[in-house]
Amino acid sequence: MQIWSRCVAILFLSLLPLTAAAADVKVGLMCPLTGKWASEGQDMKNIVSLLVENTNAKGGIGGKTVTLVVEDDAGDPRTAALAAQKLASAGVLAVIGTYGSAVTEASQNILDEAELVQIGTGSTSVRLTEKGLQRFFRTCPRDDAQGRYAGAAIVNGGYKAVALLHDNSSYAKGLAEETRMVLDKAGVKVVFYDALTPGERDYTAILTKLKAAAPDLIFFTGYYPETGMLLRQKKEMGWNVPMMGGDASNHQDLVKIAGPEASSGYFFISPPLPQDMDTPEAKAFLEAFQNKYKTVPVSVWAVLAGDAYKAIEGALSAGAQTSDAMAAWLKQLKDMPGLSGTLGFDAKGDRVGEFYRVYSVNDKGEFVLQPR
Amino acid sequence: MEQFLQQLLNGLAVGGIYALVALGYTMVYGVMKLINFAHGDIFTIGAYLGLTLLVSCNIAGMLGPVGALLAVFVMVALLTALVGYLLERVAYRPLRNAGRLSAVVSALGASIFFQNAVMLIYGARFYVYPDFLRPDFTVHLLGLNVPGVRLLVIGATVALMLALSAFIQRTRTGAAIRAVAIDPGAAQLMGINVDRVISLVFLIGPGLGGAAGLMVGIYYGQIDFTMGWSYGLKAFTAAILGGIGNIPGAMLGGLLLGVIEALAAGYVAMAWKDAIAFMVLILILIIRPTGILGERTAEKL
Repeated sequence: MQIWSRCVAILFLSLLPLTAAAADVKVGLMCPLTGKWASEGQDMKNIVSLLVENTNAKGGIGGKTVTLVVEDDAGDPRTAALAAQKLASAGVLAVIGTYGSAVTEASQNILDEAELVQIGTGSTSVRLTEKGLQRFFRTCPRDDAQGRYAGAAIVNGGYKAVALLHDNSSYAKGLAEETRMVLDKAGVKVVFYDALTPGERDYTAILTKLKAAAPDLIFFTGYYPETGMLLRQKKEMGWNVPMMGGDASNHQDLVKIAGPEASSGYFFISPPLPQDMDTPEAKAFLEAFQNKYKTVPVSVWAVLAGDAYKAIEGALSAGAQTSDAMAAWLKQLKDMPGLSGTLGFDAKGDRVGEFYRVYSVNDKGEFVLQPR
Repeated sequence: MEQFLQQLLNGLAVGGIYALVALGYTMVYGVMKLINFAHGDIFTIGAYLGLTLLVSCNIAGMLGPVGALLAVFVMVALLTALVGYLLERVAYRPLRNAGRLSAVVSALGASIFFQNAVMLIYGARFYVYPDFLRPDFTVHLLGLNVPGVRLLVIGATVALMLALSAFIQRTRTGAAIRAVAIDPGAAQLMGINVDRVISLVFLIGPGLGGAAGLMVGIYYGQIDFTMGWSYGLKAFTAAILGGIGNIPGAMLGGLLLGVIEALAAGYVAMAWKDAIAFMVLILILIIRPTGILGERTAEKL
């Protein structure tokens, strides 16, 4: 009996220092697990924890196990500030997150004062990287980068008279303005520029006015529910002008709302989802994700959280032990294969590399990634 | 000219829905002097109940598209009428003799309760009505292409409004409703059961609101749990525009608001559509503080 208890005691004692020594890299993830963006946050958590498991299964980084500390920001700036403080006091080395520019902004200064690296994932507002914060990065594109790409896509498509429509949200308006600048420079005429009220059902008055302006392309920069209604009511009017959108329309419900017939031919620009890509990284990740969760990731922003982890993992593998060393390493990063394309950051912390692609909707209502 | 007619028609279709919802606000205000803030959410419930009946109960499979539309229409109106009746019993009747403010707070509470109940039951994502039910034909009218479903929506709203007018103006029960609206105390002395009249109003108003929710679901296809808020706000505005408490006023106000919105969007700027609609409301209220048709007209029963 005594021998047994001694054995057990020795076993426990020998285990204690082992676990302590193994769990010595902590990475924080801040995401909306509750609230209106909960589905994004759940996906973010699923993706990052899957990648962390993979790292640890391969023996960790330099023999050290990675521990993920997850905090819920509820998609709300005030909760985000609390979450950032909790992560800072949990002793993490870097923080991934979060979704929503305003939410990310609420956590920026707290994490910067705690001298932590932060990699935003669904935070596209231009000003986030214009503040001179040395440890802030983001894996998502900026709104103006999307505007430039959208403008280029319109010019390359040979359209001559474009109608720009936004919904007065800072994201959609910014994208529309950026696109207008590109189009003005390229000499493409913007025949219509106005905003609709989001959350309504009837956009026929707007479409009637649009039709009078006779554009050869409508670019609506807002979100998928309104896009779906516009497509559906445009079809009902018997008006066959092509329509395009930004990355806020990258949601399968768009086709549900508009119906496959009305959405056929619609195209939008967005960073690609792994299931649409043929890089080995994307394929390997998708397989692991499907094995574990029996579904595919629906949100591209959650995949960008996976990219943020990839970048942090890269920095740790390269021997960055402090947040300043990690920030310095990230700033020189170029062309690292990520889940949504190549990863790299510029001096401001914005992502560089190609990740915008054109998707179009086929006759069956499926999103098809177009070849570059 | 063609564009003007098209915008007019766009406005009438939207305005018809506003008018149907506005009737619920105005009837309740007429008899109880209470703004039933939960009315917009009853509209949402109508849309969701319609979807549930169509999808889960497979009514279309049993009755065919046309029969299913009619059956679901009646069922949704009855069910939302029941919800309205229960709402009155639970949230308003106990406060009948309390101050008006208590009843308004109770109405706001009921609205929050309904909205969150719908979200918890159905979830926060968008739902889409099955497509096969939408009448799929186009009518050529004065050089315009008019989707048939739009004509049906306008037709159904007009029919419902005419039926309601006839009921209020021509029947004994309608006269009782008008009497309670003018003076509940005197009506009671004349042998009218005021409680029953109020219950009746809470059956008719929500029934119409629920039917409007179903029509929005069928016409626009997409529903979500917050839809009652924007429609409720607009319908409430329409009721005030026409003169709250006044039934023809709600119809006129709804149609007018829809047309003003469509013309403002078409000829001024879409972003200013709501601002212009509310500016017109303010101007009308400055000139006629009780709305276009007045709060109530003196009448002989």
